[in-house]
Amino acid sequence: MAAALWSTISAVLPPDEARFPLRFGVAVDASVEEMLLRCRRQLYARTGPDSPRAAALTAAALTAAQIVTDVSWEQLNTGTWRDVDKEWRRVYAHGCLFKAVALCRGAPGPEGALQALKTCDLGLLMGASILDDVLQRLVGVLQEEVRRAAKEEKEIRTEVPEVQAKKIRLEIPSAPVIKRSNAVPRMHCPSLEHFKTNNLLTKQPIILEGVIDHWPALNDHRWSLEYIRSIAGCRTVPVEVGSRYTDEEWSQRLLTVNQFIDKYISVKEGPVGYLAQHQLFDQIPELKEDIRIPDYCCLGDEDEDSITINAWFGPPGTVLGCKYIRLYSPGDSSKLYPHESPLLHNTSQVEVENPDEALFPEFLDAPFQECVLRPGEVLFIPVQHWHYVRALELSFSVSFWWL
Amino acid sequence: MNWFGFGFNAFGQILDREQKVSPGGDKDDADDDVKSYTCLTPIKLERVDSSQQSRLSASWSRTAQLRLHDEDGRVYLSGCGVDVADGGCMTESLGCKDALLGERYLTLGFQNKAECWDLQRHGPAPAWSMETSVPGGYIATKPPFYRPLAPQLKAVSLALGAEHAVLLSGSGIVYTWGIGSHGQLGHSGLTPEKEPRPVEALCGLCMSSVATGGWHSACISAGGDLYVWGWNESGQLGLPSQAMRTSQGHESIKETSSCQEASTAARGEEQKAGESEEVFISIQAFPALLDLTESCDVSKVSCGSRHTAAVTSDYGQLGDGTSRSSDEPRCVAFFRQRGLTVVDVVCGPWNTFAMAAAKEEAAQS
Repeated sequence: MAAALWSTISAVLPPDEARFPLRFGVAVDASVEEMLLRCRRQLYARTGPDSPRAAALTAAALTAAQIVTDVSWEQLNTGTWRDVDKEWRRVYAHGCLFKAVALCRGAPGPEGALQALKTCDLGLLMGASILDDVLQRLVGVLQEEVRRAAKEEKEIRTEVPEVQAKKIRLEIPSAPVIKRSNAVPRMHCPSLEHFKTNNLLTKQPIILEGVIDHWPALNDHRWSLEYIRSIAGCRTVPVEVGSRYTDEEWSQRLLTVNQFIDKYISVKEGPVGYLAQHQLFDQIPELKEDIRIPDYCCLGDEDEDSITINAWFGPPGTVLGCKYIRLYSPGDSSKLYPHESPLLHNTSQVEVENPDEALFPEFLDAPFQECVLRPGEVLFIPVQHWHYVRALELSFSVSFWWL
Repeated sequence: MNWFGFGFNAFGQILDREQKVSPGGDKDDADDDVKSYTCLTPIKLERVDSSQQSRLSASWSRTAQLRLHDEDGRVYLSGCGVDVADGGCMTESLGCKDALLGERYLTLGFQNKAECWDLQRHGPAPAWSMETSVPGGYIATKPPFYRPLAPQLKAVSLALGAEHAVLLSGSGIVYTWGIGSHGQLGHSGLTPEKEPRPVEALCGLCMSSVATGGWHSACISAGGDLYVWGWNESGQLGLPSQAMRTSQGHESIKETSSCQEASTAARGEEQKAGESEEVFISIQAFPALLDLTESCDVSKVSCGSRHTAAVTSDYGQLGDGTSRSSDEPRCVAFFRQRGLTVVDVVCGPWNTFAMAAAKEEAAQS
C-alpha cells in the first residue's frame, strides 16, 4: 500500500533530477539554492525500503525541506505582500513540495497523508505555481489516499451504527423590514444591453433574478455542508476569527474546511469565524466547476481571466444564504467615516445597524439602498459603492470582481 | 575566552558537518544525516586562539570571525561556499577594524574606508567601497550600502532588522524608523516611519544598548533592565505566544534549546495553562519590560530572525528567548554546568553564539 502511494506520487514528479529544473532569479540567495539542490538530491536518492539509511534519509529530507519553507516564509513576511519577489514565492512552493513528498516517504499512514495535504495547501495559498501545477496534482493523489484510508476504516467498523448527520438548526435572526423607497430594484434576466445602459454605466445597483439557475451549485452539486465536506473537507484554508476585521481580537488562522465547519459553522455559540476572502476557487478547482461566470461580467473591459472570484462562507451574522445588504454611494463617503489608517481606509468606522449618533452624527443623513438577497439571486454592486452585509442564515456566497 | 555556537548548522557555520556526523565522512553522508543540520548544545568554535581578541557576526548561512591581533585584523569565514581547507581566511580583510556579515555581502571597516564584498560572486574588487573620513551616514548589509543619517542624532550604535532600524543616541535615547507592520518600531502603531523617531515610551530612561531581530527590537537600560517590542510570532519577545501554545507547537528547527531539560519543562507548563483563558501577544507595539528572573541585571542582548538571547551579569547565564517550544526566557544551563561565565552574545538569524570565559578569567577582565 505504502509502495503504491509512493509510485503514484513519483508519477506526478519529474522522472529524474535532470528533468527537475531549479533555477531562480537574483533575489534568491545562493545558500538557499544550495539547500534546494540538497532537497532535490534527497528526493531522488535511491534507497531500498529496508535499507538502514532509508529512515535517516527521510528525516534529513524533511529537515532540509523545512529549512527551505522557513527561510522563504520569512521572506514572504518581509515588506508588503504585493512587493514580495515572486521568486521567493516559487522557493516557498518548492519547499512545500519537498516537504509534502518527504512526509510520504516510507509508510505515512492517514496522519502523514493529511499533513502532506496541508503542506501542499500552504504552498498553493502562499507560493507561486511551479512545475506545471505540481502541488495541485499532488493534492489530487493525496486526497484520493485520504478518502481510500477513510473508506477502509469505515469498512473495518461496520458493526458500529453510523451516526446520522445531525440536522443543524440555525436560528434565523430577524430580517430588517425593507422600506419600499430604499429597495434595490429587481429584474428577471435583463438583456445584456439593458443591464449595461441602466446599471453598469450609470452605476445603479440591481438584483438580478434567475441568472444563475443553471449553476451546478444550485442543482445536482447543490452546495450543502455535506457536499462541501466531501469535496474539500481536508483542505486547509485561511479563516478569519472575529466578526469584523477592524476588531481588536480579529485574527487569521489556517484550518481545514472540516475544522472550520465544526468550530464555527455547526455551533450555536462561540466565536465568529468565516472563510477569509481568498482565491478559494483557484485552490479548489472542483468547486469552481460548480459555478459559472455570469455573462454580465463580460461587459467589462478586461478578459475573463482577470475577473477575481472570491468566496465567502460563514455562519449567520456574517454573510450567507439570505443576506441583508445595504449600499451607499461613493458620493456620500464622508458621512460614512472611513478609518484613517491606510490599510482600512475603505472600511467605515460606523456600526451600520447600531450607529453611534454622537460619534458619527452625519451617518443617519446618508441615503442608502437596501435589500434582502435570497439564494440564487445576484446583486450587482457598482464600482466603489460601500456595502454592508449581514447574513441571516448559514450561507455561501460567491463574488465576481471585474472592471 | 572562547566563542560557543548553537542552533542552525545546515552549512557547517558552527561546526564542520562531516566532522559532526562522523569524522572523515563525506559531504553527501552529512547531507543525509539530520544531526548535522543543528547543534543542540553549545559547541566551542574551532580555529580561535583564546588569547586573541575576536568579534563575531553571523548571517543565515555563514559565520564571520574578526580576529583583532596586534592591530592586524583578519576575517575568517565558515559556512556556505567556504573552503575550509585554507582556514576560511579572507585575504582582503587584512588590516580591517570591523566586520559585519549579511547573507550576500561582507562589509569590512578599515581605518579610512569601508568595503562590501560579494560572497556569491567573489571578484578581485569589492562590490562597493567608500572613504569613511566624512561621517554622516551608516552602511547597510545590502544595497544601497550607504545611507545618510542626521548628525544631530549623535548615534553611538545602530541595529538593523529585516525592514527597520533602531538607533541609540549618545544621550541614551532610542530612535526607530522603517516598516512598522509587526510593531517593531515601538511607537504603539503599525505605521511606517521615514525618519528616525524617538521611542516615547522609553523617554526619561537612559538606554545603554540596542538590538534588532528580523521583526522585533530590544534594548537594555543603564540600570540593566531589558525592554522588548515587535513581533512575538515564535515567542521571541519572551511573552506568551499563541503559536507556541496551540497544536503541536512549532516544528521548525531554527533555534534550538540548548538544554533539553528546560524545553521539557516548558512543555509541561503548556499543558497546565489551558488554551482559552490566557492572553496571547502576537504583536507588542510598544516597549515592554521583560522580567527575566528576580534581581538580575541584563548586560548584553542580541536578536536572531525570530529569537532573542540575553546575558545577565550576576551569573553570566544566557536567557534563551525562544527555542523549540519556548516563549519564556530560559537559562542555558550548559555554561554554568561547566563553570563558565558568559560575557557576550551574538545571534545569527537562526543560531546563537556566546563568548564565555572561565570564572576567574572573567573576573580579571
